[in-house]
Amino acid sequence: MTPAPEGEDEASEALPAAPRPPPPPPLTSAEEEVVLRAFADGTVAWDDTEGLWSLEVPAEAWLGACLLVQDRLLHPLASLFGEDRSSSSGSIRLHALFLGGRTSSGVHVRADLLAIGPVTRSLWERIPWVVPFERETAEMFGIEFLELPDRRPLLLHELHPRPPMTRGPASAPTGERAPYPFRPVEGGSVYEIPVGPVHAGIIEPGHFRFQVLGERILNLELRLGYTHKGTERLFEGRAPGPATLLAESVSGDMSVAGAVAFSHAIERALDIPISPGAEASRGLLLELERVAFLLGDVAGIALDTGYAAGAAQANVLRERAYEALGNLTGSRLARAVVSPGGLRRPLRTEALPGIGATVARTSEALTVLHERLLDNSAVEDRLLGTGVISRAMAEALNLVGPVARASGVDRDLRRDRPYGAYRDHPVRTTLGEKGDVAARLQVKVEEVREGCRLAGVFLEGLGAEPTVAPREPVPRLREAAHGLGWVESPRGEFLVWVALDAQGTLSRVHVRDPSFLNWPAIERAVQGNIVPDFPLCNKSLNLSYSGYDR
Amino acid sequence: MSPDGSTRPEKAAGSERNDDAFGSVVTVAFPLGPRPALRAPGRTPRHQPGQCDGVGACAGACPNGALRVEGSGPGATVTIDYGLCLFCGLCVDACASGALESVAFDELAVRRRSDLISIHRAGDAAPSPPVLRDEVAERIGRLFAGSLAIREVDAGSCNGCEVEVGALTWPRYDLERLGIRFVASPRHADALLVTGPVTRNMRLALLKTHRAMPGPSIVLAVGACGIAGGPFVRSPQVENGVDQVVPVEVYVPGCPPSPMALLYGLWLALGKVDQRLHDGEFPFPAGEHRSNSGP
Repeated sequence: MTPAPEGEDEASEALPAAPRPPPPPPLTSAEEEVVLRAFADGTVAWDDTEGLWSLEVPAEAWLGACLLVQDRLLHPLASLFGEDRSSSSGSIRLHALFLGGRTSSGVHVRADLLAIGPVTRSLWERIPWVVPFERETAEMFGIEFLELPDRRPLLLHELHPRPPMTRGPASAPTGERAPYPFRPVEGGSVYEIPVGPVHAGIIEPGHFRFQVLGERILNLELRLGYTHKGTERLFEGRAPGPATLLAESVSGDMSVAGAVAFSHAIERALDIPISPGAEASRGLLLELERVAFLLGDVAGIALDTGYAAGAAQANVLRERAYEALGNLTGSRLARAVVSPGGLRRPLRTEALPGIGATVARTSEALTVLHERLLDNSAVEDRLLGTGVISRAMAEALNLVGPVARASGVDRDLRRDRPYGAYRDHPVRTTLGEKGDVAARLQVKVEEVREGCRLAGVFLEGLGAEPTVAPREPVPRLREAAHGLGWVESPRGEFLVWVALDAQGTLSRVHVRDPSFLNWPAIERAVQGNIVPDFPLCNKSLNLSYSGYDR
Repeated sequence: MSPDGSTRPEKAAGSERNDDAFGSVVTVAFPLGPRPALRAPGRTPRHQPGQCDGVGACAGACPNGALRVEGSGPGATVTIDYGLCLFCGLCVDACASGALESVAFDELAVRRRSDLISIHRAGDAAPSPPVLRDEVAERIGRLFAGSLAIREVDAGSCNGCEVEVGALTWPRYDLERLGIRFVASPRHADALLVTGPVTRNMRLALLKTHRAMPGPSIVLAVGACGIAGGPFVRSPQVENGVDQVVPVEVYVPGCPPSPMALLYGLWLALGKVDQRLHDGEFPFPAGEHRSNSGP
């Protein structure tokens, strides 16, 4: 791979540089001083609605503040996004959330940029995984990130008359396509395999460019954005209750996680209490969703090794979990059940005894299935050493969820920032070592088993308390409010940040799907593997396109 | 074949204890035999004009503009678009008069978009089911003679519909036993099954995939998104439904439609079953409704 040349002309400037960061710029003592003074002055305040320290800095201290928080306080960057406040304060506000890792703490850094021609310095030299966040914020808010090596659009494939997340009437794309140069590959026998956006299976759309020598993958480059629906903009102006349905449709195969994360954000923002019964019900739904979801990954991995019988059996178990959700809620994906304040409707008590039996049976059957998988040398041969993501790589990309745990990174929001029913019932996490497909299968199997156990625990915790959310859970506000919700979804850390105006309607919602952090992992995992092992890498990572594109 | 029409896999000797954990017969008996209904209240809203007070609380509660009330009092006109409905039940929760109820009916697939829209005007006689226009059904039934090769295209869905479409291929539904299968290329397909609202960024890919499919062919628009944009309706980044881009033969409502609702839609596409929903009216309760009966 050749590093991009220093940008003399537009075409080469648009190309991404090699992912090897140059030596980091030293913090100037002035920048460092601003942040340290903020801590000393007490302008850094604990914000209970976010569970984070809140740090507001002048625009010129943005870079310094962010780097200090990550390098000195050791909280990794979890998200970066914009908020158009030109109507109230004449600014475009930049937000960076730093959380994750083994502490329950974190920091929210804010800075206001001028609304006209907003510009700041990119964080990429010290936080390499920030690049997609800054590319999105650049195209959606018109912010220029100086030194950002990759200026290509991320989610918008067409030109827009105005950055779509800025104030004013929603702007329709013009129909003219934005240029998108792929990284060129040269060499005698090197060839390229373009795949997608329409794929061969029943899966989401995206475009992959494989650069291959023989069967060996030299490089993979992704282009996503095909499922971009402008979801974050659609939240704006809605009441929190109905908007929960949009949160369920960010990654629709994890609708409970989306609804709970969004509801937590609203409940923290508005200080709405939740009954223990509602928390236990949510915990039960979250774990049943995890069991169904991860059994799909087990089935997919078995299928892609050619072990069709194992895949069919995993799918039998998966279908049972979806039927359990359907019997509990009337919707197999438990749609329109969780709502700010509790649940929109109670779980069907008649279905509860059956759920206990289902999770117990699933756990038992999974043990049998896993033994059969491991007992099969053909399966083993395909999984061991395939699609390796080392622990160092997982940390360098700030990966989350079972993918990170399979590489030995010990993080799980259920334990690190416990919420709801997990406060009283800690999760037992499983870590892998090698970070290959075999390790990811092992971790996912264990997480299904642990999900079954937790579902059983939460089932017992369902008491006689009311679980149903009040019809109008949103009290009348006198001033604007904001809140952060977090859930360890089946794919990992799912974050929702909300801002409400004084009328109680949503003024900005940002959703950080775990796949937004995890997608770059696939480009690393496949390097040096052969093309036929790509499906195994892909299934074991199971990344959300809709969650990334929104 | 067992008497209920389901296939019964043979057990290997000695593996009895192990296989009991998976259950020996899991495949539903579709199309003949009892329907495995969810043991939970339905989510399909149904309006009974006689009881309506015309207050319009239901329309105010609908998050998606799928239900409209024009006028007020007993003279109000109530319109339900099952194509845009997310089946969340908020309208029924909001109804004080009891005119709206939730029913367990999901055989909602239709051939005409207008058949998904129920309009109740004051003074209208109770709507009678119109005669099925079955020329199209017959023609498709003859052409494909009971088999269907489908290319699935996700045109920007949230991946919820993919969970349920994918479930059709699992042992519980075992689609291939019905002569229906998913193929990897549009060149091998009789039908496109399209989910998602059709994002601006998928419009061209959908058009090209449709063009690559040899005729004669049909298109199924699946889910509230595929029919009318779903929860993303009116976003400038989406096209508000598959029929805004390519012609659609069958619409399958739901958010997402369950595997049984999808099976019904596919059976309708093959002309093997009558359409149940006409001008937004469907036969319910089940006395008038024979489940999944064959032709």
